[in-house]
This record gives sequence, structure tokens and C-alpha cells, in this order.
Amino acid sequence: MSDEILIIDKDTSHAKALGIYLERKRMEAYMASTCEDAIVLFDNISAEIVLADPGLPDMEMIFLLKRIKATHPKLQIIVMVTPDQFDHAMAELKHDAVHYLMKPVKSTALDMALYQAKSWISLNSRLKANEKKLKTFRHTQNLFQQLFDEVPCYISVQDKQFRLTATNKMFKKDFGDEIGSHCYAVYKHRGSPCQECPVADTFEDERPHTTEEVLTSKSGDQYNVITWTAPIRNGDGEITQVMEMSTNITQIRQLQDHLTSLGLMIGSMSHGVKGMLTALDGGIYQLETGLEKRDKERTDRAFGQVKQITGRIRKMVLEILYYAKSRELRYQSIDIAEMADKVVGDAMAIAAKNGVRLEANISPSMGFVDVDPTWLQAALVNFVENAIDACTYDRSKEDHIVKFDAFEIAEDRICFIIQDNGMGMDQETREKMFTLFFTSKGSQGTGLGLFIANRVIRWHDGSINVESEPKKGSRFQICLPKFKPDQSKMIDIPGKGLEIEKNEADNKK
Amino acid sequence: MKKILIVDDDPNIIDYLTSLFEDNGYSTFSACDVKEGLEIAGKEIPDLITLDLEMPEEWGPRFYRKMCQEKSLKNIPVIVISGLSGGDHAIGKAVAYLSKPFDREKLLKIVKETLQ
Repeated sequence: MSDEILIIDKDTSHAKALGIYLERKRMEAYMASTCEDAIVLFDNISAEIVLADPGLPDMEMIFLLKRIKATHPKLQIIVMVTPDQFDHAMAELKHDAVHYLMKPVKSTALDMALYQAKSWISLNSRLKANEKKLKTFRHTQNLFQQLFDEVPCYISVQDKQFRLTATNKMFKKDFGDEIGSHCYAVYKHRGSPCQECPVADTFEDERPHTTEEVLTSKSGDQYNVITWTAPIRNGDGEITQVMEMSTNITQIRQLQDHLTSLGLMIGSMSHGVKGMLTALDGGIYQLETGLEKRDKERTDRAFGQVKQITGRIRKMVLEILYYAKSRELRYQSIDIAEMADKVVGDAMAIAAKNGVRLEANISPSMGFVDVDPTWLQAALVNFVENAIDACTYDRSKEDHIVKFDAFEIAEDRICFIIQDNGMGMDQETREKMFTLFFTSKGSQGTGLGLFIANRVIRWHDGSINVESEPKKGSRFQICLPKFKPDQSKMIDIPGKGLEIEKNEADNKK
Repeated sequence: MKKILIVDDDPNIIDYLTSLFEDNGYSTFSACDVKEGLEIAGKEIPDLITLDLEMPEEWGPRFYRKMCQEKSLKNIPVIVISGLSGGDHAIGKAVAYLSKPFDREKLLKIVKETLQ
């Protein structure tokens, strides 16, 4: 399509001459000699350039040009005037015209003016196209940002050093806005990269990977997640970043835990039960033959064995009962110092056998306390035995000690402190130690003991504070109210048993 | 006097079997893992071995495989005593498989017959 141009000039012969010149330049020229003609023509053609003599001193044409420019801002107006009207025309039209030419118009000056006008038109149309593209781009960006943010998963993008370069809304909510930090520090609370890492695998083999992980939120909650990774490539096809998307499956896992825990526990413990029964048979045999032979040493040893194994069986049966049937706490008012003595007495033999010193400092003035003695004693024994185990597994030192303190911390509150100088725990173990089936003792542990002990303390509306450092040891501080919490505030939570209503417990804190 | 080697990771069970065998006229040695078991077996060349299956580090079948590689040990009869369900196939050539908790008289009968 050739460019259309509207020439407005009362001097028709001048207009005609211009028209012929412009048609030679492959432009389609339309000519008007009055304002009325100009309006009709302008409405019927699609001229982007107007070459006009405003016909001063008459102002009619000036007003027309101003009006057209106001309604068609992209229109390029080139004004041609006689030298005596030049300043007047400029004063009236100012920036509404792109160029002012002196009449009679010279071809070179006209060419330059047209070139400029066409350049403006071309720039304008390119600008318009870019504006449109930018709008589409912004719309798309907004859409993807919304998808990224609103998707009900944790999404993060990581570089080769495992630093977070982008995270979505859900991720920020649970793990904080930690752009630039290492992923393992943000959601594993570790100081170094994990041994098995799907992001590292994707960087290495350029393929997506899936794993199941346990993450720790900024508030300390643990989430089970299924994680998928995918490579992100630059323009040259190189992988510069990896996207990690994790779905929170904590609730599903909790449900599975509750459904399968009984079966799993029996499965994992059957070997232990058989071993204990055999050892009990052994103890009874030694006892019988020791009595027959009047061998005091054998009889004494057998008594010790039978007592120890009976304790182990009792503990295991209690744990099984805990699962087989959720039971309410049976509160009794008991002399807590007496119970603490029993706990230490029970653990003394195991400590001695493992070469660990067990020192007890039990305040005799704690008085009577409302607790379920069966469960509380089992929980405290568990903490003490764990401390002994932590010493037994620690090969870095020779001399091991476990300290057990019991005292009144306030008029209505008692406190137990169990401290050891054993192997200690790293942050990951510390965070997971109360998780069902988590054990750091390999085949020796069931992952039940501390899980149940923690529940028992919570049932009693108590608190546990843990401090631990690898190779240095651990300190458990357990505080309990001396008097039974108000029963009306207790609610039964399915799968969890009896707990104090949350708000009530928070208020007490 | 016939010699019996007891391999088990539970010290209470070692104690039990030691008393039981010694009360019945056998001499005993004991080991709490595969490595120690092979060392003692090589030194003492027992007439019979009782073997637990599930032990830390290496388990019972590994002991048996390693034992069979030694000329002096490969013909020693083995009685498996384990709490592992379905463990009776773990060592096909064992003279007997006894599940924990085992019958004392049955064990003594098998030991007596094997050592005759």
C-alpha cells in the first residue's frame, strides 16, 4: 500500500504541483482547498501525514488542524507558509506540527520533512507493537507468578551451590523468605549438604528425580514431603538451576503411622521378644540348677538376670499396651522422691554393667504429686536408659557419667534433669528424636521409647527441654505440674489420646 | 571332652547355653559376633557350633559361608538357634534349626546325637 498524504492549500496550482511531485515519490496525494473539503477527505482516507498551509491570518484552518491533531495524536502535520507568516504559524501551532516549511516549498526541504515524519510514524508503530508485546508479557508473567505462588506445594529454585534463588508463597510461609541461603540450612537445619540429594542428582544426570524427605519448618514443625526435581536450562541448553517441588504428605504419613504402627511394632519386636523369652528361660535354668547345686554365685547371677529381663519384658509389654488400647491416665497422689529412687534403682544395674557412673541427687522435700505412676516411671526410666546408651555408644572418652536430679522448681511444679556426657546429638537427631520409629541406635532401638515418653510427659501437661551437642552429651529437663490438671479441660484427640485443650495449655505457658 | 562353640550376640543367651552345655559334660567357648566366632573356631576346632542368625555387623549365614571356606572347619556340624521367622532355610546344611525360645531337652538330645 502506498502512503497516503493530504495536501491542504488554497493555492490549488501549488497544491497540484506538490501532488505531482509526491506521486512521483510513490505517495498517494489527496488535495483540499477549503476546511470543509479537508474534513470530508480526512474522514475518508487513512492519511498519516498532512501537508497544510494554514491560510493565515484566517484562523479557521489553524483550529481545524489543532482539532485533528488532538483526536489523532499520531498524525504528522507538516506546515508550509510564506516567510511573513512563518513566526505566526509557529506561535499558533507550536508542537502540533512536526515541521515548518517556507513557501514556495523546495523539494529537498520537503523530502527531509517527509523522511522525518515517516520515521516518526514507523517508530510509533514499532512502539505500539512493543507496547502490545509488553502487555502480553506482563499478563503471562503475572499468570505464571500466580501459578508459582498459589500451587499447593513448596517450590524452590536452586543453583549449583544449593542456594535458593526463588521460592513460592507456600515455601516462604513455612520456611521463611531465605533467598540466597543454602537449601539444607533452610529446611533441614544442617550445616552441610545432605548425603543423598535429588537436586545434586539432577545437576549430574540432567534428569528429574523423586525422593521422600522430612523437612523442618522455621517454627520447628516436621513435614513429610515427596520431592520432585527438574532441570532449568539457559539459552544454550546448559543446566544452570534445578527446580524442586515438594508436596506435603504429613497427614497421610500420620494416618499410615496410626494404622500400621501396631503391626509394624509387633513385627519389629518379635525378634526381641523371642530373645528375651530365651534369656528368661536361661535365667530360670540357672536359678534352678544354682539352687540344686547350692551354688550361691550362680543363683545370685541368675536372680540379677531374671530381674533385668523381667524389667525389659515389662517395658515392652507396656509399650505394646500403649498401642493396643488408648487408656486414660490413672492419677494417684504419690511420694515423687520415692518414685525417683525407684527409677535410679532400676537403671543402676544397667549403668554398672556398661561402666557408666550414675549419680542421683533427689530432693526429699518434693512431697506428694498427682501423676500416673506406671506411665511416668516408664517414661523417666526411658530417659535415664537413653542417657546410659548415649554413654555406652560413645567411644570418644573413657569416663562416663549420667546425673539424675529431681527437685521442686516452684510451689506447684517439679523438675527432673537427666544429663550425660555421652555421644550427644546433632540438630537433625535432636529434631527427630520424638518421632515415631526414629532411632539412632540401629537394630538395638525400636524408635518407640522416646516417642512414648514424650507423649506421657505431654499427657501430664509437662514440658521437655533438650540441649545437646555431638560428642559432648545431652541434657533433658522435664518439668511437671504437682497437681492434676482440670479434667474438664481435657479432650480426647483421636489417635493421640487425652490432651489438654490447646488454648488452655498455651495460656498456662 | 567334646567342645561346643556358641555364637550369639546376646550375653544372657551365651550365659544360658554355656551353663547348660557345661552342666551336661561338654566344654564350651563363646563369641558374640562372626569375626570373633571364626577366630575361636580356627584356634579351638570345636566338635559342634550353635549359631544365631541375626547379629550386628555380619549375620549367621556369612559365618557359615566363611567357615566352609576353611578346610579344618567345613565339616563341623552347626545347629542354628534363632528368633528369626523363616530362618530355617538360611543355612541349608545345618543339622537342626531351633527357634527361640527353644526346648532345652530337645537341644540337648540333638547335641548328644550329633556328637555321638
